[in-house]
Amino acid sequence: MEEIVKKEEPRELSQLREVFRRLSKRITALIGLIIVIIFLVSAILAPLLSPHDPIEHSLVHKLANPSWDYPLGRDELGRCILSRIIYGARISLLIGVMVISIGVLVGVPLGVISAYYGGKVDFIVQRFVDTMLAFPGILLALTLIAMLGVGLANVMIAVGVSTIPIYARLARSSVLAIKARQFVEASKSIGASNSRIILRHLIPNSLSPIIVQSTLHMATAILWAAGLGFLGLGVNPPTPEWGAMLNGGRLYIRVASHVATFPGLMIFITVLGFNLLGDGLRDALDPRLKT
Amino acid sequence: MNTLLHVRNLKTYFNTEAGIVKAVDGVSYHLKEGETLGLVGESGCGKSVSALSILRLIPNPPGKIMDGEVIFEGRDLLKMSEDEIQEIRGNRIAMVFQEPMTSLNPVLTIGLQIGEVLELHRYLPREEAKEEVRRLLKMVGIPDAERRIDDYPHQFSGGMRQRVMIAMALSCNPKLLIADEPTTAVDVTIQAQLLEIIKELTARLGTAVILITHNLGVVARYVNRMAVMYAGRIVESGPAVTVYHHPRHPYTIGLLGSVPRLDQPRKERLIPIEGQPPNLLHLPPGCSFYPRCAHRFTRCAGERPELRNVGTEHLVACFADF
Repeated sequence: MEEIVKKEEPRELSQLREVFRRLSKRITALIGLIIVIIFLVSAILAPLLSPHDPIEHSLVHKLANPSWDYPLGRDELGRCILSRIIYGARISLLIGVMVISIGVLVGVPLGVISAYYGGKVDFIVQRFVDTMLAFPGILLALTLIAMLGVGLANVMIAVGVSTIPIYARLARSSVLAIKARQFVEASKSIGASNSRIILRHLIPNSLSPIIVQSTLHMATAILWAAGLGFLGLGVNPPTPEWGAMLNGGRLYIRVASHVATFPGLMIFITVLGFNLLGDGLRDALDPRLKT
Repeated sequence: MNTLLHVRNLKTYFNTEAGIVKAVDGVSYHLKEGETLGLVGESGCGKSVSALSILRLIPNPPGKIMDGEVIFEGRDLLKMSEDEIQEIRGNRIAMVFQEPMTSLNPVLTIGLQIGEVLELHRYLPREEAKEEVRRLLKMVGIPDAERRIDDYPHQFSGGMRQRVMIAMALSCNPKLLIADEPTTAVDVTIQAQLLEIIKELTARLGTAVILITHNLGVVARYVNRMAVMYAGRIVESGPAVTVYHHPRHPYTIGLLGSVPRLDQPRKERLIPIEGQPPNLLHLPPGCSFYPRCAHRFTRCAGERPELRNVGTEHLVACFADF
């Protein structure tokens, strides 16, 4: 009659710890995690970490090569490139977080409702999603910026809106799978309302693919934001932003290659970091590995 | 004793691409307070659907309750609003499902899930709810309940999870418990334990039980009355002892003949029922059991026998007398 009771360490956050354990087994995922942590720390602690004021210019020293005082050199207006890159991480982080928030907060409810209610609701939502998916993402973003005007907020809205259909599809497919499981029927049988079933049972169970997708989207969002910054559609100068820095250095690539190289390298490394972490998370959160 | 539940002429159909499946086709039965009714039949005979229909848990589409009444404590559940039926579910009528491995939400702790029922129907403050969950876990015999309250479902075995489901179902002292093959998915040794727990607790709480099963041994031991279903209809019903020892419908006779029994001398071989259960899309016009029946005659092919009284509370849907 008695069954063996497993003894375990305190199990607060035990699931989180389990995921971290699986993540840290893969070296690439760990590298991704480290890059992402460095990125986050420098974005948050930018004023403490940057050696100089990122806006302070000095035309006398323009395009100066890297030195002890200015480890990554100075840009076309004589500003410290390292400081600008560190501050630029803030903008990238802000854009990434806002883009994903828009995508998740609008897309996930749409997808969940679509899958849960099915029938006509599903049909209408999915045709709306199809329409949005028919546009190439960057084109949709450019169109929205053309409508809304140039600026940081509009870039975030534009890129955010173009990710909505992806989250809607993702949430829909995972809820469709979960909906068929018996605990949903069981919670209905105890008298839970639709909204309660959605919030308490469906969304928490469909989170893993959404977490993975948002991590990967962080990379895309940073890339897109840099791209739009490069085209001059993002933040206004002199705010440091990686894409805009890349564009500024472009003219001097023959005489002072470091001006464009370092921001480009930063974009590359950060995007790589998020991609590696996203891939690692995908494996670590794989439901087939759940005990 | 008062009648607690009265199901009259319940019809639940499923709309499929191949046509309309009459999963439950005119089922009537009643249940007195505190009584245990066994709903018996092969897979796909409509026993689960008829039970799910009581709480209106049939997914629509494709399923639809076409006709009938389900009178529970004087009110028709089929005519209630969604809010009203939610007040009944889990509170006055509770369910235990077949598959304990998937009936619990994998991302919530056991304590939270049982607490959800208390929160929905008994409005208990957090601390009291936690205390109550502990009491319930102890009630169904989960060792070390104090600590296991914060465990996740995957840390429980199948038998233990089914105990959790029983605790959840009985947490609001329901008047009726619908147990849909509660022991089919667990080991034989655990089956007996679970059935004993259900029997003991429902007797103590005065809860009536509808026990859905295809295990005739279970029926004999745990139910007062039984109803045998075949192809969406009840073909025989009556006190369990009577039906078990003096079955009158050829299907019931066949069903009992095909089960190995330890309480009787060992026969040479078991007698299986010939053929397959009928396709619910294309039921024969007369008696649904006609194609497989050993005692059929011409009348059965064209005319459907209705349930008739053959003894004290003993009903059978067959033209023949045995």
